[in-house]
Amino acid sequence: MKITFPHMGNVYLAVKALFDGLGIEYVIPPKNSKKTLEIGSLHSPEEICLPYKIMIGNYVQAAEMGADTVLLTGSCGPCRFGEYCEMQMNLLNKLGHDFKFIVIDAPGDIGVSELFNRIAEISTKSRMSKHKKLQCVKYALDVINLTDKLDAKAHWLAGYERKREECKKLLHASKRDAARCSNPKEMIKLLKDYEKKFDNVELDLDKDPVKIAIIGEIYTVIEPFSNLYIEDKLMSYGVSTRRELTPSWWVKNMVMSPTRLNSLDLKRHSKEYLRLEIGGHARECIGEAVKAYEDGLDGAIQIFPMGCMPEIVSKAILPRISKDKNFPIMTLVVDEMTGEAGYVTRIEAFLDLLERRKEHVLSGS
Amino acid sequence: MKIGIPKGLLYYKYHPFFMTFFTELGAETIVSEDTNKSILDLGVKHCVDEACMPVKVFHGHVASLRDKCDAILIPRIMQIRKREYICPKFCGLPEMVVYNIPDLPAVISEPIYATDDKRLYEWAKEAGRLVTRDRNTIRRAFEKAVSVQNEYDIGINTLSYEMKVALAGHPYNIYDSYSNMNIVRKLNALGIGIITEEFVDEEEVDSEVGKLFKRPFWTFARNTYGFLATAYEKKLCDGVIYISSFACGIDSVLIELVKERIGDFPFMVLKIDEHTGEAGVNTRIEAFVDMLERRKTYEDNVPSYGQCVPCSQGSF
Repeated sequence: MKITFPHMGNVYLAVKALFDGLGIEYVIPPKNSKKTLEIGSLHSPEEICLPYKIMIGNYVQAAEMGADTVLLTGSCGPCRFGEYCEMQMNLLNKLGHDFKFIVIDAPGDIGVSELFNRIAEISTKSRMSKHKKLQCVKYALDVINLTDKLDAKAHWLAGYERKREECKKLLHASKRDAARCSNPKEMIKLLKDYEKKFDNVELDLDKDPVKIAIIGEIYTVIEPFSNLYIEDKLMSYGVSTRRELTPSWWVKNMVMSPTRLNSLDLKRHSKEYLRLEIGGHARECIGEAVKAYEDGLDGAIQIFPMGCMPEIVSKAILPRISKDKNFPIMTLVVDEMTGEAGYVTRIEAFLDLLERRKEHVLSGS
Repeated sequence: MKIGIPKGLLYYKYHPFFMTFFTELGAETIVSEDTNKSILDLGVKHCVDEACMPVKVFHGHVASLRDKCDAILIPRIMQIRKREYICPKFCGLPEMVVYNIPDLPAVISEPIYATDDKRLYEWAKEAGRLVTRDRNTIRRAFEKAVSVQNEYDIGINTLSYEMKVALAGHPYNIYDSYSNMNIVRKLNALGIGIITEEFVDEEEVDSEVGKLFKRPFWTFARNTYGFLATAYEKKLCDGVIYISSFACGIDSVLIELVKERIGDFPFMVLKIDEHTGEAGVNTRIEAFVDMLERRKTYEDNVPSYGQCVPCSQGSF
């Protein structure tokens, strides 16, 4: 059994650490590229959202490398993501790939015992003791937390660095090196070293960079390929960015959700505009926008794939927040047709607007 | 007190409940006119661009009621069946409307969980308070409304035609004859009868849905999938026409599941949005009907040479 999984930002590093630790064979699909998306959009239904298409590309490319099992998380709506597993199984079957799907779904829907059965399908492949296996899970969590921390640090410090693109280079180097590690402990140590390196980046604290919050649909904000590397672009522009939705946030949120104590601050901030959970991460998106304003950021960029149901609702609400709080918010809708030039123009125009607002005091009136 | 009820989205399915409830409370109800060009235009003007057409039409209905009533009902339908949802846009509908249409009167937007009478009554208590403070009146109005709703049947099942098409899609696409350009009448004029999802038993739907790997968590998806699978299995129809709004997230999934299930059975998806031209729709319906007729009259379902081209890969 060779396990593969779809890409989503830095998740591959954590999964790599997990399977390296457990000693299970796995295939990391090639990094998302135009090719991936081309394969994906060739086979996928036309109207499905972008993440689905990229994922199909991942599977097909992984199959070429010998993968035969897909590990996927599920959800139970109302967002489309929950239906991915069924559709992707059918589609891959039709394409002639004999994949076995292991869907880690909410225990509320499939039952606790079924969930453990599905997890056991993977864990029994490893000959380690239970204790060691749990340790590996812990390593994977450490990795995901560390990579997210590095991301956040680099994205924020990019506005203050003295040497242009130093943070960006450091961040890319950290990922490149982490992908080369062959055991989880080594990877964790390496990431910790990089964390220290970020503390040595020369900063100009007198700078007042433009600060932007990246909000929107979780896959498109986390997976850099799907948003045309917006965070890298902003780092090169010397803009500080902040993003709350990360894989580590997702894990924490999911574990905490049965207690209803998950992401309390976002819930509190979204209360004024959207007081109910409507599926996907619409409520978090609203909460983040309000929070970004209260934290004194200069603007927010919402990103979502074309046709995303929950984010359409939040897109309808954001203009009101923008108006009420005098807080610029731009929405970028991405799909496989998004052209980079138009995209960049919009980002640059938005940055110009934010910069001018900062320089001219008049903007407050 | 005048309560405005927009004639959009699930109005077609649940209007007896809402109308009876508010009338029994002693409020006057005013329903927006049938969907027409000016309502659609109003909706397109006010609604966020990315939304689907039914949501835009709903915005239009609300906007047209704006100056005619003291409160507008915007049903925030969260659940109709247990552990199932409708669509994220329904859950956030009041927000979408309120933040985009200026100068609205009061809005009744309490969440509706119609999984059982007790939870539904929670809504009635909140909504009724706007009209009367008397708990008993609310209770009575609620019970009456539920019983009227339970007796109400929509659904089309024409028996007098030789051929029949299963008309599938969300209720508001099927019953809003402006949005779907009067497809029912068009089909009838071509000598085609229609059957809708209300004419399939719940048990059959359940057994079909049970065969899926993943339980569908949208009520629309469950009903439509169960209906089409049963209709195909039991030969209740000669073909399927699926009316789908452009960019509908649920349909993008559902259509794939249905195609997978019914294989080469004649299946046509009619996409509708605010730009749909009627001539194109007519042509497609006629072509589809022609195909059905020929299939019935001439075809023996045996390919003459080589392999047949299943319609799932072909032009439909």
